[in-house]
Amino acid sequence: MGETAAKLGLARRGGDFLRNVLGPFLALVVVVSIFWIADSMQADGGRFATLRNAQNILVQSATVGVAALGMTLIIISGGIDLSAGTAMALSATSLAWFLREQYSPAVSVAAGIAVGCLCGCANGMLISLLRIVPFIVTLGTMTIYLGLAKIVGDNTMVRPLPDQVPLWMKQLLSPRVEYEWMVFAPGVWLLLVMALVTAAVLRYTVFGRYVFAVGSNEATARLCGINVPLVRIAVYTISGFFVGVAGLYQFTRLTVGDPTSGTGKELPIIAAVVIGGGSLSGGRGSILGTLTGALIMQVISSGCTSLRLPNPIQEIIIGCIIIAAVTIDQFRQRRQAV
Amino acid sequence: MPTALLRMSQVSKSFGATRALADVSLEARGGEVLALIGENGAGKSTLMKILSGAVSPDRGEMELAGRRFAPRGPHSARLAGVAMIYQELNLAPDLAVVENVMLGQESRRCGVVRRADERQRVRAALEQLDRTDLPLDLPVGQLSVADQQVVEIARALVTDAKVIVFDEPTSSLTRHDVQNLFRAIVRLKQSGMAIIYISHFLEEIRQIADRFVVLRDGSVAGSGPLAGATEADIVSLMVGRKVEELFPSVPHACGEILLSLEGLSGRRAPKGATLELRRGEILGLSGLVGAGRTELLRCLMALDPVRDGRVRIAGLEPRRTPHARIRAGLGLVSEDRKTEGLAQRETIADNLTYSRLQPYSRFGWLNLGHRRTAVEDWMRKLNVKARSSEQLVEHLSGGNQQKVAIARVMHQDADVLLLDEPTRGIDVGTKAEIYRLMAQLAAQGKAVIFVSSYFTELLAICDRVGVMARGELREIRPASEWTSESILSCALGVDGRT
Amino acid sequence: MQRGAALFLALAMLVLVVGCGSATSDSKTGEAKNGFHIAVIPKGTTHVFWKSVHAGALKAAEEFKAAGTPVEIQWKGALLENDREGQINVVADFVAQGVDGIVIAPLDSTALVPSIRDAKDAGIPTVIFDSGLADESVIESYVATDNYNGGALAAREIGKRLGGKGDVILLRYNVGSESTEQREQGFLDTIKKEFPEIVMLSDDQYSGTTAISAQNKALELLNQFGDKVDGFFAVCEPDTVGVLSALEQEGLAGKVVFVGFDPSPHLIEAMREKKVHGLVLQDPVAMGYLGVKAVVERLQGKTVEKRISTGEALATPESVDSPKMQKLLNPEQAN
Repeated sequence: MGETAAKLGLARRGGDFLRNVLGPFLALVVVVSIFWIADSMQADGGRFATLRNAQNILVQSATVGVAALGMTLIIISGGIDLSAGTAMALSATSLAWFLREQYSPAVSVAAGIAVGCLCGCANGMLISLLRIVPFIVTLGTMTIYLGLAKIVGDNTMVRPLPDQVPLWMKQLLSPRVEYEWMVFAPGVWLLLVMALVTAAVLRYTVFGRYVFAVGSNEATARLCGINVPLVRIAVYTISGFFVGVAGLYQFTRLTVGDPTSGTGKELPIIAAVVIGGGSLSGGRGSILGTLTGALIMQVISSGCTSLRLPNPIQEIIIGCIIIAAVTIDQFRQRRQAV
Repeated sequence: MPTALLRMSQVSKSFGATRALADVSLEARGGEVLALIGENGAGKSTLMKILSGAVSPDRGEMELAGRRFAPRGPHSARLAGVAMIYQELNLAPDLAVVENVMLGQESRRCGVVRRADERQRVRAALEQLDRTDLPLDLPVGQLSVADQQVVEIARALVTDAKVIVFDEPTSSLTRHDVQNLFRAIVRLKQSGMAIIYISHFLEEIRQIADRFVVLRDGSVAGSGPLAGATEADIVSLMVGRKVEELFPSVPHACGEILLSLEGLSGRRAPKGATLELRRGEILGLSGLVGAGRTELLRCLMALDPVRDGRVRIAGLEPRRTPHARIRAGLGLVSEDRKTEGLAQRETIADNLTYSRLQPYSRFGWLNLGHRRTAVEDWMRKLNVKARSSEQLVEHLSGGNQQKVAIARVMHQDADVLLLDEPTRGIDVGTKAEIYRLMAQLAAQGKAVIFVSSYFTELLAICDRVGVMARGELREIRPASEWTSESILSCALGVDGRT
Repeated sequence: MQRGAALFLALAMLVLVVGCGSATSDSKTGEAKNGFHIAVIPKGTTHVFWKSVHAGALKAAEEFKAAGTPVEIQWKGALLENDREGQINVVADFVAQGVDGIVIAPLDSTALVPSIRDAKDAGIPTVIFDSGLADESVIESYVATDNYNGGALAAREIGKRLGGKGDVILLRYNVGSESTEQREQGFLDTIKKEFPEIVMLSDDQYSGTTAISAQNKALELLNQFGDKVDGFFAVCEPDTVGVLSALEQEGLAGKVVFVGFDPSPHLIEAMREKKVHGLVLQDPVAMGYLGVKAVVERLQGKTVEKRISTGEALATPESVDSPKMQKLLNPEQAN
């Protein structure tokens, strides 16, 4: 009895795995196929499905991807972070400032990431201690971080001298890979490693369970003796870490610190999580889904360029994909419920 | 001679591979109350959905007052004359009584509501229910649950319902309100309507219903007039096997004092609650809804702010956080499985182990295989019916959900189990299992505080019973010294002794 | 069932949109087979300035087509205005797609260098317009207003109107903005050389990036120097708007000789009221036109100038309604 139940459970989990994890992945395959076919029908097409373009797309989605890892945690825990974009710009600008002020690259990177962590921690503290909903708190910190970034940048770009930016930073997210055996840029691999670790933390640690518990039902979490405010603060701080790394990623692509470079970036970050199956009411979301979501948006963006579709069409398609993803998700849940 | 107002014949419905109803036939006659009985998952809710038009049957016919009845949706069912009174009331709390009753059927001319006409119709409906005392203009949210239910019934009357279906109408009512409800139902019945009454409380059914139909696994397991049937007959029809007895007796003896409260006070309730609980003891807590029983348990768990008073568990005074209380050996099963007791969209395994993950973790990393074995063990022990330990709790029946919630406090190895209405809204079979569990726990030297609004189970299961009223713990006596009547008068604030 | 329907609907929508888009572009690419596919990347897509650049680019394409070389223009900016990373992505996409040439107005003088170098390494020539790039080795040509000359034009107008003597203020724009720094330099050099009797009251203040900050800074300066001020030069559009508001507020509008840079309907109106005595005008249509022309000529193997000026003009209250000025003030726009 027990054995068969376990086997059934395994099969059942297999089914869940197919639906929950491969679901968004399937969407990615479909989107890629559509653009691939449309591109190869073009007279001078055939460039879409190339390694070069794959490298390109991965590099471009990496920044949003890293920040979206943290956003996944936050959304699973039932929160939201509208300040992710400007906090990312703040850490990038701080990183640039430290480089310009002759600090070593290691110190500067650490400082940039620390700034990200602080931003996240501040969000978490405000939410937990003041008991204000995350939407409002981060709406406020969104502009606060923008203001801080402008102060750091003295209202303009922070431009370290070219030789103050170390070579490894320039290569971190270069679409052309220095060493052929790496196939993709080092930053892409780093993102993958961080994603694996985060996914493992969510699935295999006590903390991961608590994150799901808090997002799924805060009252239950309290009832079970989980320290809800502490979990919240931890989630936002970890997310801040990823925002800091995203700041590093952004900086390595720009090689200047731009205080306004994060404005509007929170939306693609949130959209990546949502396309990947995250629920804004909390308790649901997956790292693989989020990465897929980030990739889907970038594939659409690059695909539209190669199909010569103008920006407004691209914006409309991305909007449709977001709504379609959530709709499909809802039908899926309703079906499971019956 | 009562006539069949509603007739269902050979109604079947499947969802995917699951057969929810198979060839169900039944008759509801005018001037009669038909009780629909069955365990959770027996097909009652599907039947309800078919009647209300939310789901259409795969096969079978329905007739209402001699005409074919095939509602296309809740509105069409209501227009045809079938009204539903659900467990969770469907009222707009900010609208007044009149507006709620007339919602969706406003009498109007050229889009303008004819208020005078509406008031008259609502007043007539309330008169029929003998509740002319309800203020027509009060927002419904300010009424008691029982009065809100009256508003729902009035809504059914205004549409000239021929058949009214009550789904567990008494689950959130006090005993007093139940009697009022029953008087209203009798009046409806006397006016020639057919009443379908769905409930788990066999006592109530015996009191109000004329005939019964038992559903089991989607088909009719038995039916007949209630007059000739014993409680045991009906229960064995429901569970499909003999139920030796609803209240099992597992001998247990009281040991040393485990929990003591001294003047525990919360924000509104409890007010200065003092009690002692021994190992191996089951203490019942009775009282009306709002008497402060839930608040007492929540203060004990430090879930609600504590004003004053001391809590000692095994002689120690734990800090005022839920975490510290759990570590000290307390465990609470919440009265509200949906919004607090369980994280509905997480798995059984998660819900069962949230309060104690240490056995499966090393440096914060979980051994999921180890945990699954343990969870499956608990599921077997408590007879939780589910596909696997990874199934989502929201897809379980109410009884199985409750077992998961109880399994959690057992899994966390709580010494003192605080069970808040653990038997509400679950089927008889599961109730019996829960009673046995409580007795077994007591026999193992645990202590249980059992909050219930159902006097019979309190008197049958508990060693001592305490009664609360208006936030105060009025009196604690051995169960043998209480009767239903004396508990009620104590809970109402009348002099307890009879 | 429903889920399938929703998925189908979403996909059908995507196919439809993609299909329509590629169908319309098919005709273009058919033409472009023996010609060139040129990407034109503005800084933003909504401001009228860029629509005029677009019009110029299309005009160049028409001319090449007439001359037997079909040129397809693909116009695409970043989704968000002023988004450097977005512009880098657009360049990278075009490089991956393999366009024949790129014409771009870089949002940042250093951030865009690596991507444009990537393009060069992939054999795609790039021409920049409007703003400069820190590393000019990666580009074929820089098409822009001669900002230095624009500043000189302004200096001569002020000098002429003041009769060669008086006290003048220069309000700078922002630290690190290359194009405005050249205007400032051109202005100061010309004043020094050609009008030695004119005194610079102030030439070291920065307006900041908005009209409001410019107005506040101008008010400070006017309060400091009061009636001594005879002439005022503002180096870009927000700067000009802010200074005009300050002059109006102090009741000095029309009394102080005021020359600005870049037009707006509000400024042209003020010019007709003689509150503004000169506006240096750029030629966005020429930028698009000359940019595309330069990159195509480079592809055809011709040599192109490293630096191409689009020409600049000064509108005054007297000349504002002349056909030449009207063409610059209301340049054609692409849809």
